[in-house]
Amino acid sequence: MMSDWSHEIVLAASILSWFIIGAGLAQTTIYLLQLIIAAYALSRRPPVARSALLWHRYGDVAPPIALLVPAYNEEVNVVESVHSMLALEYPNFEVIVINDGSKDQTLQRLIEAFKLVKFRRPYEEALAHEPIRGLYSSPMTERLFVVDKENGGKADAQNAGINVCRAPLFCVIDGDSILEPDALMRAAQPFIDDPERTIAVGGTIRIANGSRIEAGRVREIHLSNRLLPLLQVVEYLRAFLMARLAWSRINTLMLVSGAFGMFRRTEVVAVGGFTKGSMGEDLDLVIKLHRHMRDAGRKYRIQFIPEPVCWTEAPETLGVLARQRTRWQRGALECFFRYRSMLFNPRYGRVGFLGFGHILVVDVLGPVAEVLGYILIPAFWLIGILSTEYLLAFTSLIFTYGVCVSVCSLVLEEAELQRFPRARDLAVLTAVAVIENFGYRQLNNFWRVKGWWQYLRGNQGWGEMTRTGLTGAKK
Amino acid sequence: MWYIWDLSILLSALSLVIMLFLIARRVLQERRGRAQIDQRRQLHTALIAFTENRDREALKVVLLAVPAGVAINAGFEFISLLRGEEYDDVLAAFDECGLPALVGKQLENGNSAERMHAAEMLAALRSENAVASLLSALDRDRSREVRIAAAIALCDLGSLPPLDIALGKVGVAGQRSRRLIELFRRFPPARFEELRDHAARTDAIPFIRAAAIDALAHAAGFHFADFFARATGDQSPEVAAAALRALGLTGHAEAPAILASAMANGDWDVRAAAADAAGRLGLAGLAAPLSALMDDEAWTVRYAAANALRSFGQPGERLLRDIAASEVSRSQRTASLILAEGPAA
Repeated sequence: MMSDWSHEIVLAASILSWFIIGAGLAQTTIYLLQLIIAAYALSRRPPVARSALLWHRYGDVAPPIALLVPAYNEEVNVVESVHSMLALEYPNFEVIVINDGSKDQTLQRLIEAFKLVKFRRPYEEALAHEPIRGLYSSPMTERLFVVDKENGGKADAQNAGINVCRAPLFCVIDGDSILEPDALMRAAQPFIDDPERTIAVGGTIRIANGSRIEAGRVREIHLSNRLLPLLQVVEYLRAFLMARLAWSRINTLMLVSGAFGMFRRTEVVAVGGFTKGSMGEDLDLVIKLHRHMRDAGRKYRIQFIPEPVCWTEAPETLGVLARQRTRWQRGALECFFRYRSMLFNPRYGRVGFLGFGHILVVDVLGPVAEVLGYILIPAFWLIGILSTEYLLAFTSLIFTYGVCVSVCSLVLEEAELQRFPRARDLAVLTAVAVIENFGYRQLNNFWRVKGWWQYLRGNQGWGEMTRTGLTGAKK
Repeated sequence: MWYIWDLSILLSALSLVIMLFLIARRVLQERRGRAQIDQRRQLHTALIAFTENRDREALKVVLLAVPAGVAINAGFEFISLLRGEEYDDVLAAFDECGLPALVGKQLENGNSAERMHAAEMLAALRSENAVASLLSALDRDRSREVRIAAAIALCDLGSLPPLDIALGKVGVAGQRSRRLIELFRRFPPARFEELRDHAARTDAIPFIRAAAIDALAHAAGFHFADFFARATGDQSPEVAAAALRALGLTGHAEAPAILASAMANGDWDVRAAAADAAGRLGLAGLAAPLSALMDDEAWTVRYAAANALRSFGQPGERLLRDIAASEVSRSQRTASLILAEGPAA
């Protein structure tokens, strides 16, 4: 009887181990595939180095763009951010700051700095949002409008901005982020090259911690001297340069970051704008766009291009980072289950198979399988249920393939883009790409499992995002 | 299972070796980069000196002493600042040093970003072989962006093949690019008829036909007003809307009737363009259909109609005020919003 039980326990352990290793293998295969596609995409579309050339080439035919900047309690940075946005190099754009019922002096700071006056501007109430208390324009510049509204969250503020803007394209950006001066021109390029099909474009988000920032511009790029932002630099590189570029190449891009994304207004209005109260409103919008265009049988492109850069501040403490990551995980799960009917649905083609398949493997199953693996595989091996082969296979999937994928994304960056200014930076990042697999990756997965738990319990809080402000970066 | 382990070790070791190689390459590039900054400075100094003393030999010495890449890029940047005789003299020096030939090679062998830039540089350098190189790129380059850049460069050099042939070489996918708007805007007046003929072709891509109409409206004006008037009835809403916009710029004897008819079109883009054109032309006689459009289901149309009425001056504003004072409706709300637009009281 006992021997029967032990046989079943071994069988169950083997099946569980196979599931864990299978999930790891699927994830690793996806990453390696993404690397190959991303390398191909970069070789097919090498970046244009000088922004003066872009202006010369596209300046006359660049479409008007509205830059939507939701601001909530941003009194410290808002004036400097708006100044830097007004100085962007683009022929035809307006900046619409949406004060989302800030409790601090955000609106007052803007009124004082730009001598804002109340203004009436007719607009279509195409999307629902909390009431607008007033619109403001500035006699100092025709490009700036401020929408003062009652608090409704980021998605709600963005929807108000979409209603008020008149340009055919709009670009969303976080109030505390910094756009490179040529970022709009670069991001608009797909809308110029293929205006009928392109409906959304995402650019790269880079981490500004450690860089020298003056007057709302990144003057000198430096790596942070703290480990946590450095780890996130490698992480962002992998996410943007590898994953997004690869999926964009095969028109399966599922996420255009809410921190910097450009969209065609008509299509966004047609899908009802950003979903209010969503944890992952950016992912949600892109999925809605895919669904809308596929349901309508229209040809479209949702692209990621690596050159336009938006700088952001990365969390520097474990507590803040943990809150951010659990929220991202809840956002991914929320969108996955909300639109689950698209998964493997032939009607949605590669979006249903590859895009949703990717979310299933990497975001839904991935963290659970990996955390189970950390606990069960060594335990099974120690009590002699599992052979060393299994242990080594799991170890390689977690650690050595992880090193390979992280270093390869750095290789891609250096071979094609060379955005880190010094050889020393590359050496530091190579070391970080190795060590992130020993501790940080595991911690991240723990946070993601925590996000799973919070999702199951219906926790919808955003958590406090403490920021020091980009102006607080190295001076 | 062992192969998973072995392969992982191999791949990660390989990635690290490649990365180390790239770091070493970067160290060398950093050194070379510092040298290149000095060389660019030298070349700029020589070019500035040349514009003062026209000492071609001295300039050639510096041009030949710096690497070709530096000479091409710094030279191209510099000549974009020059005009007239100075420009021609610098070009002659570049020609004698063989820079256009190097740019020609870049057009053949560079990556797509470099080839595009090479096409633009060849147009600026105006060398003897530029047209042949650009025609070859238009004919054979695998990137449609490069082919479009070559077409624009050829247009600047006055050597663009007949439009149908050029667009055929750009390819169907390339004919969606807004860059073609730029090509059309650069068309010489002597070839406007070609643009008109292409815009009239019902088998051509609507986007391109609309772009051709826009370019003609801005460059040729009233000369093509009859053509625009005919095109307003086109099957394609995109073309019809472009023709209406053009008519709004040029005017036409039949404009009131054409615009009134277009205001009843099934496509909102056409209705909006018609309302906008009526406003531009100041056709106060169209106040009635414009008032009707203020109840349109599309906001863009309502807004264009209200703006058109407002542009008629006092009679239009009076009408808007009447509508705003009427019973609550879409028209009433649109009129109120338009009348309130501007600084708040």
